[in-house]
Amino acid sequence: MDNTIILKKINFSFRKIIPWIIPIVIILFWQLIVSVGWVSATILPSPWDVLKDGAELTVSGELPKNMGISLYRATVGFVIGGSIGFVLGFINGLSKIARLAFDSTVQMLRNIPHLALIPLVILLMGIGEPAKIFLVAIGCMFPIYINTYHGIISVDQKIIEMGHAYGLKQSAMIRKIVFPAALPTILMGFRYALGVMWTTLIVAETISSSSGIGYMATNAEQFMDMKTIILCILIYALLGKLSDYIAKNFEIIFLEWRG
Amino acid sequence: MTHTLRKTLLFILLFFWILITVYGWFQIREESNPTLKTVTIGFQAGDEFDIAKSRGKFATKMEKKGYKVKFKEFQNGAAMMQALATGNIDYARVGDTPPVSALAAGTKLTYVAAGGTKEKGSGIVVKKNSGINSMADLKGKRVAYTKGTSSQYMVLRALKTAGLGINDIKWVNLDQDAAAVAYSKNKVDAWANWDPTVAQVEITENSKLLVNGQQAGAVNRSFIVSPSKFAKNHQSLSKLVIKYGEQDMHWANTHHKQVIKLMTKELKLSKKVVTLEIERRTFGIYKMNDKYVKEEQEIADMFYQSGVLNKQATVAKHVDYLK
Repeated sequence: MDNTIILKKINFSFRKIIPWIIPIVIILFWQLIVSVGWVSATILPSPWDVLKDGAELTVSGELPKNMGISLYRATVGFVIGGSIGFVLGFINGLSKIARLAFDSTVQMLRNIPHLALIPLVILLMGIGEPAKIFLVAIGCMFPIYINTYHGIISVDQKIIEMGHAYGLKQSAMIRKIVFPAALPTILMGFRYALGVMWTTLIVAETISSSSGIGYMATNAEQFMDMKTIILCILIYALLGKLSDYIAKNFEIIFLEWRG
Repeated sequence: MTHTLRKTLLFILLFFWILITVYGWFQIREESNPTLKTVTIGFQAGDEFDIAKSRGKFATKMEKKGYKVKFKEFQNGAAMMQALATGNIDYARVGDTPPVSALAAGTKLTYVAAGGTKEKGSGIVVKKNSGINSMADLKGKRVAYTKGTSSQYMVLRALKTAGLGINDIKWVNLDQDAAAVAYSKNKVDAWANWDPTVAQVEITENSKLLVNGQQAGAVNRSFIVSPSKFAKNHQSLSKLVIKYGEQDMHWANTHHKQVIKLMTKELKLSKKVVTLEIERRTFGIYKMNDKYVKEEQEIADMFYQSGVLNKQATVAKHVDYLK
């Protein structure tokens, strides 16, 4: 009896470790090939060198400053784009006329690569902060729009009929039935948009900027500072993982009712 | 994980997220001063205005004359020309080729000043042990360059000076970072570039300049350009920019030690690389003259003849000599 519990416990903690095995093996392998000298350290610095670079930049205050600025741009862009996407998706999900009016336009805009938009963004918004935030907002808008929209139009007709049978008014119907039923899909869009937020930000921070993680990366590229380039890549990976973790927890908390 | 624990953790994460975001906002916030007129200057890392910006005197002097200077950093000349075309910057410090390409594309810009050259720090680099010792040895070899930049002009010019044809080498169009890896891994035999990258490659990749800008006839001068309308209406301001800029450049030429220290920090390059670069470079900001215009016209002609640009630009029509 006791033994099985212990085994289960071991099994449980082992499961927690599994996701980290591949990243750790990759990093160890990477350190190995650089230390042994299979790859020149000027082309691919070792993880240890990258870590040292990160520590130096943190002490000098450059990294915290750039991370703060990037986080500011990302968050504001996400909030603006996400809200627009959510409202638009909600309206289009509920109203057929709105759907006909907006949906195909949104679908057209959705697939334009952000890099191609830069000249247009500069023309419209200039080269300051609004341009960068605008680009992030555009990036975050579409995933949330699409998922909100799909979440709502694919709500099971039967539960809507049930709502009618109970005599629910329009507003109560949306609040009590449509929104909760669409929530899992909406949160999926939210999670996806958080990922897009970081990828768009790199592009946005190439527009005349002198701050941010994206700037650090492109600037390092210009002078072949491989340590900083890789540091920025790792930061993006970690930030991506962190935002995904946050989104996943939101899903778990909000969707508790599903059991 | 229990529910309360999850909620607490999420709350803490979000709290820090917001905290850092607010911190970022404070970092980026610009204080506006309504009594000063804003002048926006585009620059690139390590150039004349980067020195003026790092030294700090330029902005102070301009402020006394009633101008607030805003320095905007760009990654490359093409991006700066885009910002200039849309009126987002008033002055742009660029290399020699971006304004020519912009003129050919119909951008209304005016040359207001010229800078120093990088003729000793630009050129085609090769590995010391590559066996390539003259331009003639480059025949059939792969040469990395970046399309539309002064590296392309450098190669075209060097070929012409050496009496070679355009097709005598294999052209490999690569971005700076891709070219760095390709060169280091011997995927290309030579690389046309400019300082500080040339200095860095010479030091870290056991390389030498096969031909520099002076020998090739491509001096790689920098220029300061403005939107034409702005230049026309702000001649006295342009004169101030030249005057104060030149004072900083004079300081830079006579205080190499300080400049090296400043740029080592700013560019995050090794001191050795920056020293090599600064020691062979002359800084300056001068009024335009016929010699500089001729240099630019040669680029326009060569780019047009070799099909890089599909329109011929007449540089002389877009110059403000600022008497």
